[in-house]
Amino acid sequence: MKIGIMSFAHHHAEGYVQCLKNIPGVDLMGIADEDSARSAHYASVYETHQFRTYEELLEAKPDGVIITSENNKHRSLVEMAAGQKIHVLCEKPIATTLEDGKAMLDACQHAGIWLMTAFPMRFSPPVLEVKNKLDAGDFGTVFCFNSTNQGELPKKYRSWFVDKQLAGGGAIMDHTVHLADMMRWYLQSEAVEVYACANQIFYKDDVDADVETGGIISITFANGVFATIDCSWCRPSNWPTWGGLTFEMVTQHGAVLVDAFKQNLNIYRKDTPHPTWRFWGSDPNMGMISEFITAIRQDRIPSVTGLDGYRAVEIALAAYQSVKTGQPVKL
Amino acid sequence: MKVGIAGTGFMGSTHAAAWTEIGGEIAGFLAETPQEAEELAKWYAVKNYLDLASMLNEVDIVDVCTPTHLHCDMVLKAAAAGKQIICEKPLALTIEDGQKMIDACKKAGVNLFVAQVVRFFPEYALAKEAIDHGEIGQLGVIRLSRGSYRPKKAVGNWFLDETKSGGILMDLMVHDLDYARWVAGEVESVYAKKISKSFPDAPVDYATVILKHRSGAISHIAGAWAYPPPTFRTSIEISGDGGMIAFDSDATAPIRSLIQKSGSDAPDVGLPSSPVSESPYTTEIKEFYAAITHHSPVRVAAEDGLAAIQIALAAIESAQTGKAVILSPLTEVQL
Repeated sequence: MKIGIMSFAHHHAEGYVQCLKNIPGVDLMGIADEDSARSAHYASVYETHQFRTYEELLEAKPDGVIITSENNKHRSLVEMAAGQKIHVLCEKPIATTLEDGKAMLDACQHAGIWLMTAFPMRFSPPVLEVKNKLDAGDFGTVFCFNSTNQGELPKKYRSWFVDKQLAGGGAIMDHTVHLADMMRWYLQSEAVEVYACANQIFYKDDVDADVETGGIISITFANGVFATIDCSWCRPSNWPTWGGLTFEMVTQHGAVLVDAFKQNLNIYRKDTPHPTWRFWGSDPNMGMISEFITAIRQDRIPSVTGLDGYRAVEIALAAYQSVKTGQPVKL
Repeated sequence: MKVGIAGTGFMGSTHAAAWTEIGGEIAGFLAETPQEAEELAKWYAVKNYLDLASMLNEVDIVDVCTPTHLHCDMVLKAAAAGKQIICEKPLALTIEDGQKMIDACKKAGVNLFVAQVVRFFPEYALAKEAIDHGEIGQLGVIRLSRGSYRPKKAVGNWFLDETKSGGILMDLMVHDLDYARWVAGEVESVYAKKISKSFPDAPVDYATVILKHRSGAISHIAGAWAYPPPTFRTSIEISGDGGMIAFDSDATAPIRSLIQKSGSDAPDVGLPSSPVSESPYTTEIKEFYAAITHHSPVRVAAEDGLAAIQIALAAIESAQTGKAVILSPLTEVQL
């Protein structure tokens, strides 16, 4: 099983490569990047082949590619892979416009390849545990969610995260889709209405005027369930970790509180300025990458699809529209 | 000065304990029926007034701890009699009633204090102080939550009658709506959802409110009547451009009891439990009393109580209509 990586613009690519290396029978056949210095760097770090161009990588016929470019470049790379009939795992958000998202879905369907969206939270053991209990009927009817996916300013990883053109937006685009997707998956129901507020108070000197750093979104689903998502880049730079994902799910029998990244050691070192949390829970990326590989091996549709990615982007884009109008937006 | 306490439920008895602690003189209690006030009147060895008029004849301060829908009438009568007044939150169920109460007290030249007790809880007061000192810079997102079980009462459960209590958005969440306005300033728009609207037959209630402040800050306020008794939990997470302040009652509870219990009785209304040397209710009554006797400043004005119910009413309207509600400035209200 040969897998290639298209672009290291997104730092998640590093985590995905670690996962690939831990799956038996998977060969990281190489990487390509429009930034040749970057691909040279990572090719040497991961001891793999550096392709000069994306075309060259695709012509080497990998079984699948992982696309981790800037958000607005996903479409062209997915279309290239589809042109060579190569299965794709695409970083979230899968697109920055619905037009791009639709084109990607169409291209992959036309080519008969699988397009999977990188939604690792579906593979987080605590999130899965609650999903399994929910499906078993342990919680009864779900009524609402109160959730957060907060973080630091991601600029320290890559500067394009705060470039509206390349990222498609700020905190809303970055941090709405994980929970929006998780709720769609939990509820098996689609969002019908979205309300959102956004501002630019956190890290305002570090971002362009059109990039929001704070935001709260409210989603209403077809089955009546409502949910809020706090997508803010509000964590101070001395927060013990990168951020986190939490949700409270209120049901007929009470509530379940989930903190997906709570399985940490607290580390207090004299030589660091603040305490840190070191995660010992299971890496959700591993389950996600395994699913992509297994789906290709078994020639079946992955459990998370391109359409799931598209639906989550629909919600994020509706949030932007609501911020503009000040009123909820119907999907 | 003599105090008459109207209302002998959970809040009436809590205020009575606070008055006693600060050495106040309770003249007596008034309830809807004399039977309801009997226990407290006996315990404190004071009068069990049969009607408001006879209480007003004998007291200087009226402490209104009745169900919310009775506040307006009682405050108007007490003001007309020239009494100093403390009124439980929420001040009233409508802006008109609240305004009438404020106007009547002004006209009568008496104080009207609204018992927004959260402002007196040490963790909330300390967070406000840190914010005012600029410790976390300009506020961006304020997250507040307050959760318990549905208030229970063997008879006459007025909490669950929205015409009497205003429901979860008014009765429970007015605390945090007031606090959000206290720390982040005036509110521009309100959007809210609640289980009791989306799922009218649900055995639990929970609401989320999103406030847009004029300052640009956003508040997210969650209220739960959804947890198993005797749960009561609150949390604060306030982020600014210079840092954040966080509090979680689950994480800061200084005592965790793993003792086996025979019964599982929970009080009618969930209560915070984090022992401090002075109950926040006592701090509150003490501050109001000092303002009456020495004209010292108080941290909450009746107008704040009115502004808080304006936000709660907008949340109720939003949950009903599904639209964000734009607030018009209350001319009387200033921070």
